[in-house]
Amino acid sequence: MAWGKSGSRMIVVAMAALFSCGLVGGQQARDLDGHATNPFTASSGKIVVLVFVRRDCPVSGRYAPAIQRISKRYADDATFWLVYPDKSETPQAIRKSVAEYGYQLPVLRDPQRELVKLAHVQITPEVAVFDRNRHLIYDGRIDDWYIDLSRARPAPTTHELEDALHAAMTGGSVARNEVRGVGCYISDLD
Amino acid sequence: MWVLVLLAAACLIAPLFAGPAPRQSQTGRVGAEITFNHDIAAIMFQSCATCHRPGEAAPFSLLTYSDVKKHAHQIVDVTKSRAMPPWLPEPQELKFADEMRLSDAEINLIERWVEQGTVEGDPADLPAQPKFVQGWRLGKPDMILTAEKPLVLPPQGTDTYWNFIFPVPIQQTRWVKAVEIRPGDKRYVHHANILVDRAGASRKRESEPGAGFGGMEIRIESQVFDPDSHLLFWKPGTIPYVEPEGMALRLDKGTDLILNTHLQPSGKPEVIQPSIGLYFTPQAATKLPMLLQLENDVKLDIPPGDKNFLVTDEFTLPVDVDLMAIYPHAHYLGKDIQAFATLPDGTKKTLIHIPQWNLNWQAVYRYAEPVLLPKGTTVGLRYTYDNSDQNPLNPNHPPVRVMGGNRSTDEMCHLWLQVLPVNFDPSQGDPRMTLQEALSRHNVEKNPADFEAHYNLAAMLQAKNNLDGAVEEFAAAVRLRPQDATGNNALGAALVAAGHPDQGAGYLQAALKSRPDYFDAHYNLGFALAGQNDFEGAAEQFRLALQLQPKDAAVEANLGVALAELGRYPEAKTHFQHALQMDPEQPIAKENLAALEKEMRAH
Repeated sequence: MAWGKSGSRMIVVAMAALFSCGLVGGQQARDLDGHATNPFTASSGKIVVLVFVRRDCPVSGRYAPAIQRISKRYADDATFWLVYPDKSETPQAIRKSVAEYGYQLPVLRDPQRELVKLAHVQITPEVAVFDRNRHLIYDGRIDDWYIDLSRARPAPTTHELEDALHAAMTGGSVARNEVRGVGCYISDLD
Repeated sequence: MWVLVLLAAACLIAPLFAGPAPRQSQTGRVGAEITFNHDIAAIMFQSCATCHRPGEAAPFSLLTYSDVKKHAHQIVDVTKSRAMPPWLPEPQELKFADEMRLSDAEINLIERWVEQGTVEGDPADLPAQPKFVQGWRLGKPDMILTAEKPLVLPPQGTDTYWNFIFPVPIQQTRWVKAVEIRPGDKRYVHHANILVDRAGASRKRESEPGAGFGGMEIRIESQVFDPDSHLLFWKPGTIPYVEPEGMALRLDKGTDLILNTHLQPSGKPEVIQPSIGLYFTPQAATKLPMLLQLENDVKLDIPPGDKNFLVTDEFTLPVDVDLMAIYPHAHYLGKDIQAFATLPDGTKKTLIHIPQWNLNWQAVYRYAEPVLLPKGTTVGLRYTYDNSDQNPLNPNHPPVRVMGGNRSTDEMCHLWLQVLPVNFDPSQGDPRMTLQEALSRHNVEKNPADFEAHYNLAAMLQAKNNLDGAVEEFAAAVRLRPQDATGNNALGAALVAAGHPDQGAGYLQAALKSRPDYFDAHYNLGFALAGQNDFEGAAEQFRLALQLQPKDAAVEANLGVALAELGRYPEAKTHFQHALQMDPEQPIAKENLAALEKEMRAH
């Protein structure tokens, strides 16, 4: 892990690593081939964004172009992972859905909800942003496009995910009055 | 005489839902645990699974315990907010058919079930799943029309409004008892309306034949008084509406059906190729309803930031009618939508009240029983609009001044009422014309600058043989749009009919200046010139008309008459014969050919 540059930062990094290990160490997320995968160690020191989605959640689907667009824009600084928390969704079905939506992002299944717990998310679609020190700096909605399940704005007027990415890149802070996403409750899944 | 009536295009059929499953419980057993099998399944089957099942519009199924459990908290949210089932009107005295509204007790029961831990319960308590009809709901249609070219809906962007044109391949008039709209992939079509285009006017808007055309609101011109009469509407969950006894939609040879669709991007590209199923009846319609449109778009000039901009319109019925269905329409600023009727005895009835308008869930609402509105009843609309930043659906941030118009970012203030005139004396003429005349007069008073209102009023007066009145109103229309070919043609034709061919000719020439390939204007100018004994000029106009429509027997016959007047009998005879080849019963050709042959023999 080569994310520290200065000596003083190394201390912080060490603390973050310790902090993260406790949470991330035993996680059971798997890629679509069934291999245990740790998105934090696999992200080469970049910012990590976990995007929680469900195939049967229409709001997740409608966000696909926005998720793809934002992930491309920040590709130099952040690694985005699509996370499917529904254990009943098979790798085959997920693979088909990912292709249909044109996602070009790595995919994880999280049947034990380890990443859900780590990210504090409740709804699909929601995102969690971890800075380079693996601190969770934001969890919640992507933006304010949806007002509720039957109403969406013509275009979003706030951009929480991108604000969090800027904060993670510049070391700034994120206003933590987080807003939950509009969509499907993860807690309803078995 | 060619009369062009411009009527606002409107739309169609109300939702009917699959037969209800018997309800087991609305409040749960006192003291007993609430379970899916005993309490919740019946609500889901009746009120949710119509759409929430495979192949239907909803994004996931709600047929089994595991389906419902996976969305349990979401279901609590959307039922409590009454976002689902999507039913906008408030409860009222006049009941709608197929009301999709959960009771407060049902909503409370679902919430308590989830709070108690979404218990499945005893399998013996589970009611049988309703039997849903697969495929065409009314069985195989008599005729299936499929859009020639599919539309590829982009994965993202704003909502798309697209019109598909379906030519109806019939050789003679047919009567339609029911129409089933299959909008393509139901998950992405928010709603769809069928408009009847009897003159092929919409085809001119396609970039190439079969391509369809964009646009949220379309208007269709009609050449004769043939008012729109049916609301042919689809939204998720709709099953086809079968017209009541005596009613049917008339389709003639050459009629096009236009399917106006509202599509919502899904996140991935979708291919949309709708089809329409027609169910015919041999019974011609004996009851002729009509769509009355209340509107006040001219009053729509909404300042930015205005949270409560009010628009009203009121119209007093000149005949008794049964109100069958109602269809309110506004765009994204619409807030509180109300329509009411004040009866001659002063009784006021709410026809519909939608306190939180949502364009996405607009619908045709059909009354459970027809509502009798006696002559002298005032029907009215009262809409408010929110053009502030607090309206999250406002297309403009920051808000801007918004006017009436056809684009989705413009606003609209429309209300269609499907009414059936009742208790009338058929010997006094078509009561729909009385309605149309009164409505046109109302529109002229409301907006003296409304070209179409003057035009439609004139057309009604002319149909009632009030030629002076017609000339006056057509002239008012032409003063508003001096270059308008349709208006000049109609005014010219009315003047000719009123015995002023010299005055009429000038307007007909003006019509042809604006639109040189205007068949009707050439034809009418032929008459105007003949009326001034200029038979050379008349013959020339009929020839020009024939170049535009070579198969028109009436023009051939009239050309024959002009030539006969000029003494050119052999030529005249040829044209009478042409006319009779096209239509052996063409009366002018028949009568004049006989006279001509007699005349030629005498010489």
